[in-house]
Amino acid sequence: MTADAVTPTLADLVVERVGFGIFVVDRDLNVLMWNRFMADHSGLDAAQVVGRPLFAHFPDLPQAWFARKVESVFRLGSAAFSSWQQRPWLFRFEHDRPITGGVDYMQQDCTFVPLMRGRDVDAVCVTVTDVTHLSIMQREREEAVVRLQEYADRDGLTGIANRRYFEARLADEFARWQHRGGDLSILLFDLDHFKHINDQFGHVAGDAVLRVMAQRVDSVVRSEDTFGRFGGEEFALLLPATPLADAMRVAEKIRHTIGHAPIDVDGVVVPVTASVGAAAARHGLHGYEALIHDADAALYRAKRDGRNRSVAFG
Amino acid sequence: MPDRLLTEIQRDALQEIANMGMGDAALRLSGLLDAFIELSVPRVRVVRAAEAARTLAAMTGIAEPVTAVRQGFRSEIRGEALVLCRSAAVADLGTMLGDAGDERADERMLDVANLITGACVSSILDWLGRQPAFSPPELLGDAILLDDVFRAGMLVWDLALLVEVSFALEHQHFRAHLVMLMDEASIRLVRDALDLLVHDL
Repeated sequence: MTADAVTPTLADLVVERVGFGIFVVDRDLNVLMWNRFMADHSGLDAAQVVGRPLFAHFPDLPQAWFARKVESVFRLGSAAFSSWQQRPWLFRFEHDRPITGGVDYMQQDCTFVPLMRGRDVDAVCVTVTDVTHLSIMQREREEAVVRLQEYADRDGLTGIANRRYFEARLADEFARWQHRGGDLSILLFDLDHFKHINDQFGHVAGDAVLRVMAQRVDSVVRSEDTFGRFGGEEFALLLPATPLADAMRVAEKIRHTIGHAPIDVDGVVVPVTASVGAAAARHGLHGYEALIHDADAALYRAKRDGRNRSVAFG
Repeated sequence: MPDRLLTEIQRDALQEIANMGMGDAALRLSGLLDAFIELSVPRVRVVRAAEAARTLAAMTGIAEPVTAVRQGFRSEIRGEALVLCRSAAVADLGTMLGDAGDERADERMLDVANLITGACVSSILDWLGRQPAFSPPELLGDAILLDDVFRAGMLVWDLALLVEVSFALEHQHFRAHLVMLMDEASIRLVRDALDLLVHDL
């Protein structure tokens, strides 16, 4: 927009008023036109910018990248593009979203359009569209998906992994063990006489006991292990790269962690103990279900032999 | 066979246009990238959009996942252009093109697809007397199967003009495949333009 334009044409007025940035550069990247959107957001009006090299006022622009874009438009005569998804912004403009949602500056989609006279590219028009709202929406959607995924993998009562997630991890680890060998163990354990706890103290207390117990165990497992609720009062611990002897040491540690102190439920003291069955992946097992079956058999023996003990399969 | 939509003369003319278009595109890309670019003689086929995946797989031998970029082009003749390449090849683009600093692999792929589409589609349409405008390139996926490229919402297009072309840069080799998808009305305009061209020769 030239400063001395006395009667602006309709086209001039449109360029001035549209809700996105428009500017024009020549092949040497001198600014030929600068609309109001660009002026408002950059703080530099047309009179300051037009006729000067673009980079003189905006040294932070990715110069090699920008020059290549413009040159490609001059040479090919077709548009070039830049999307916020790959390059969040070109100009460091503030955005006017009250909720920043982690978005630092105005997110921008840019197009580099050839302005043709006949068959020659005369200049390149760059448009800058504010797409901050899109990026915020996308971020929120991604966060929601992560949260939903969390819920889908968690047990509602205890907050630890649910059975579905546990089995998925176990299936992965089992497949890895089948390919690469090494060691893989699991523990299955449950609270002794949990039915009595429920009957004697009520289901609310029973739930509280499960929660406290899950917290106690969760605080002692390694980060690479997966601790899940298998259902009811039954829990499972997946121990990658762990031979059976080490798994038995973990089993004893967990048994002590659960039983070392009675659980206080609203002033009622509930003594708890646990029985643990351990099993390790071995040749001849055809699927991870068979490994669960082994651990379950060991858990059954721990129960049968008097409870409050750990038993290894075999 | 949809190839029958074009007469032999029309098909030959289209092949010729594609040849010249690629020569033109190669010249312009060479100038831009400051390196010798070779675009192969394109192989041109017109097929139903539904058969595009199968035909393209047969033409190119691609069975593995591809990176696909889609871009609309519009003039009287309008449609959609796809640039496909083996996903494993995308990593080589950086070393091929030299880098402009801070580009990510997906941005580079979009840029290259835009250059190929812009150069090749414009060159072909230029011969048909049209100057298309393009929509921004959009990454369809960075590891998807050919079948899925054509499955998702693509069937609004009746016909696919497959222009199979490889794009090589000096010692390196980056193979890209360009596909133009058009509806019947646009193909008819292409046919008319070809007739005009053949008539004028």
